[in-house]
Amino acid sequence: MAYREIIDNLCDAGLHPARTIGKTKKETGKDLVGCFPYHTPDEIIYAAGCIPVALWGGNTEIQKADKYLQGFCCGLLRANVEFSLSGAYDGLKAIIIPTFCDSLKCTLENMKLTAKCPVIGMAYPQQRKLQAGIDFAVSEFERVRHELEKITGRIISEQMVEDAFEVYEDYRAAMREFTEVAAAYPDIITAKKRQMIIKAGQFMDKAEYTKAIKEITEGLKKETPKPYKGKKVIVTGLMTEPVEILDIFEENDIAIVGDEMSLGSRQWRTPARRDVTDVYQRMAYMVADQKGDTFLYEPEKLRGQIMIDDVKAEKADGIVIFMMKFCDPEEYDYPIYKKEVEAAGVPMLYLEVDQQLNSFEQIRTRIQSFNEMLI
Amino acid sequence: MYLGIDIGSSSSKVAILNSDGEIAAISVINLGTGTDAPERAVNEALAQAGITRDDIDYTVATGYGRVNYKQADKQITEITCHAKGVNYLTKDARTIVDIGGQDAKVIKLNDEGQVANFVMNEKCAAGTGRFMEVMARVLGCRLDELSDLADKSTVNVSISSVCTVFAESEVISRLAAGEKIEDVARGAHVAIAKRVTGMCNRVGYEPKVVMTGGVALNSNLVDALSKELGCLIEVVPHCQAAGAIGAAAFARELFEKENNR
Amino acid sequence: MGEETKITSKQMLNDLTAKHYEGALKAKAEGKPVVWATSICPDELLKAMDLTTVYPENHAAAIGARKEAMKFIEQSEGEGYSSDICSYARVNMGYVDLKHAEAQDIPMPDLIFSSSNICHTVLKWYENIAKQLNIPLVLFDMPFNHEYEVTDSATKYIRGQLEHAITQLEDFTGKKMDYDKLAEVMEMNNATCEWWKKATDFGKVTPSPLNGFDMFNYMAIIVCMRNSEDGHKLFKLWYAELKQKAEEGKGPWNSAEEQYRIIWDGIACWPHLSTTFKLLKKYGINMVTSTYPKSWYKIYDTNDLDGMARAYTGNYANRNLDYGRDQMEGLIKEFNVDGVIFHSNRSCKLMDFRTYEVQRRITEATGCPSVIFDGDQTDPRVFSDAQYETRIQALVEMMEKNKEAKRRGDI
Repeated sequence: MAYREIIDNLCDAGLHPARTIGKTKKETGKDLVGCFPYHTPDEIIYAAGCIPVALWGGNTEIQKADKYLQGFCCGLLRANVEFSLSGAYDGLKAIIIPTFCDSLKCTLENMKLTAKCPVIGMAYPQQRKLQAGIDFAVSEFERVRHELEKITGRIISEQMVEDAFEVYEDYRAAMREFTEVAAAYPDIITAKKRQMIIKAGQFMDKAEYTKAIKEITEGLKKETPKPYKGKKVIVTGLMTEPVEILDIFEENDIAIVGDEMSLGSRQWRTPARRDVTDVYQRMAYMVADQKGDTFLYEPEKLRGQIMIDDVKAEKADGIVIFMMKFCDPEEYDYPIYKKEVEAAGVPMLYLEVDQQLNSFEQIRTRIQSFNEMLI
Repeated sequence: MYLGIDIGSSSSKVAILNSDGEIAAISVINLGTGTDAPERAVNEALAQAGITRDDIDYTVATGYGRVNYKQADKQITEITCHAKGVNYLTKDARTIVDIGGQDAKVIKLNDEGQVANFVMNEKCAAGTGRFMEVMARVLGCRLDELSDLADKSTVNVSISSVCTVFAESEVISRLAAGEKIEDVARGAHVAIAKRVTGMCNRVGYEPKVVMTGGVALNSNLVDALSKELGCLIEVVPHCQAAGAIGAAAFARELFEKENNR
Repeated sequence: MGEETKITSKQMLNDLTAKHYEGALKAKAEGKPVVWATSICPDELLKAMDLTTVYPENHAAAIGARKEAMKFIEQSEGEGYSSDICSYARVNMGYVDLKHAEAQDIPMPDLIFSSSNICHTVLKWYENIAKQLNIPLVLFDMPFNHEYEVTDSATKYIRGQLEHAITQLEDFTGKKMDYDKLAEVMEMNNATCEWWKKATDFGKVTPSPLNGFDMFNYMAIIVCMRNSEDGHKLFKLWYAELKQKAEEGKGPWNSAEEQYRIIWDGIACWPHLSTTFKLLKKYGINMVTSTYPKSWYKIYDTNDLDGMARAYTGNYANRNLDYGRDQMEGLIKEFNVDGVIFHSNRSCKLMDFRTYEVQRRITEATGCPSVIFDGDQTDPRVFSDAQYETRIQALVEMMEKNKEAKRRGDI
């Protein structure tokens, strides 16, 4: 298949999560385990012979979820609870919910009531660099493994987790290369395509997905990079949704050449420590080594500087913030990196988004004005 | 001749500039996108300038309804157009406060008068003209009477709710408790001023601060905002049409550039 | 029999509060380091190191109660902080910029001591302040206890953090931890907690000599003097007064009778304290307990760091729904409660997003009527007099119906 066709297929897959998840189940014959944001031990799920699929909300009318969550809970979690009540999650074998924020803690408790499948709660250590934190992460991973063994009826050996880890390392390396190469081809990998290609991977068998990503990267490398007449930006936040915003980016010839996002580079940018022999410890160290992540304790608060460096590296024109409405951790980070980015003279556009947005006029004006400002 | 049209959610404004860049006409109609007001405003402006549509060399559309205005040669956002318009109407502006019907914006300008940054209200009516409409309705007066009413106030009554809906109920409670209409009216103005001040702080406002948009005609609000910001506010002439004037100025520039003058 | 016997606990409370703040300002002026700490943290470690500590949550509450919060909120919102985040955080971060409050000043910190058992917010809030002021941060990450009991692995993790914190404090102060002193402080903590519990348990008596809104005030001292002799003395005195009142059959107020006994779930609406309190008193509604007293009952064996870890991570907000429901049901029964008022506190998502389910479960299990109203702990803009009044009236009607039924022997 020509690599352009693969791009279109993946883009389409990312635009239709439910359909893609259905296809994955059919093609792999494996059970699906739902994963709430922002990090989950996907390798263990994969080792259990299941496919992890991301549950990151969606554009749905919220009705039933009102029984559990007030209106000022972030739309992503309200949507997830809504989906669990409407039956959208009925096909899942289990759901894993990590507690990265206060809303997630409560949603975990509510999901135990609303989901039809077993719900596995877990916590990642915020004191991730201390030995006690590494040990706690390992104990959480082992507990999740044990829960999955009970649910699937399969023993998950350490070797199986090692093998799964290699699949995921391959995926992560492929994503790092893809995003680096794609930045040079904004005319081919447009804003929407880039983001939807990334999103598609959240609903597919990583082994298959990685093959597709590698083909795209190889295909791109063979092309001659063309000068881009539009503006290039780094995006930051949880996710670049609603998708209509990416259409508006393309209307304005704005390309995405890098990201500082939870549904993005935070999933793959931290390399594994090859000198750590135990796979669970290796997974714990990946969390410990991650930098600039909204949901991981970091007194140095490197996010601002990381974005400024990204802008320089990619010769971007500015940063676009996708501020998910009602996301407390994101709301805390903003004033800190805002000051740093402003001091560095990098233009920034602030978009307040929520997944259930249906009218885009104000966002269109903001994006267009930002573009006009940059010209 | 150059035409700028600003189609808002609740009003349509047209400005026509001549080849020397002087204002030939301005028209404002208090109905917005989706009605026949944009066309009426254009016709009114053309009549004022004593010209016909064929005399217009270039049209720029701005505002909420710009995307659907098919007769424009180009559409530019109201943020960029307000900046342009303000620079046309006055000197040394560094911050523009525009309170529209549904939207409130604060625009920061650099030394060249170009947009350096901007902040818009979040999905909420509490800092906008809509809030004033709701207040006027509850207080039983016309929107254009609110300022005079508030001017009569002698007592500070604070309206604290951040939500327009809650604020409505708060105002009703105040009136029921015997507070005077004029005092409550002033409280409503102060409430908006505080909301807008928050936006000004976020963008990092600097004098000279200029107000545009229909709400700028409300002198009590301008006063209240001036107090909150701690600086004088200039209300530009033709404040409601500032966006349209900016659009017309762009129209002239773009036409001259295309024709290499 | 000296001066001491004449002083009431209320007076002592005021004196101790003044002493607490004056002491902190004085320490700073003398060049001593000052710590900012969260409200339920293992500050035994700080006390053992003689580190002067103030509690921004107490401070924000005081600012809110004196109706001074808006100026600090406007400051932090002007910096870009969303009105969605906790108003204690917005007030405190505004205070870091403005550095002065009419209500009370506190000195700027040299070290932050934050524990996330109360919520994840205090992790982000203090991360920001530590970065802004470029000072060290001692963080206790206490993972959410989604299983019914605190697990061994969580206990081990927290214990490891306690040990790490000690080394951080040793680095900061330049002196070694005096473990004997620490043991003494732990004992004092346990003793004070016992008297806090004994005093607040008087809410079980009918009529309750304990006026719940008073309890909100005394709470400030269980926060900041839980492991000091001053705190110990205060709660002993308060206990003695309540005991006397109970023996005399006295209720919560001099000017009214207790008609209904309620749980107030959540913290007070500090800027609207008077409004909220007056309406309840008008109907004879007394808050006899809440989930807060137990949250400060941090008991563990002296020198048992594991026990300390378990105690600190085990507060109501950090426990799962089943545990929370059992707690509330237990309180309803033990304190002979007629109704529950849930404060849907806009600033406190960790409490709010379980309220609906907790409400359903306690209704089913106990038949106890309840209402939910919207408010906020320090942001005065988030409260509607009209809504509060309507809902309290509705609760009264439901409680009265129950009382009627009881009198007729229906229940």
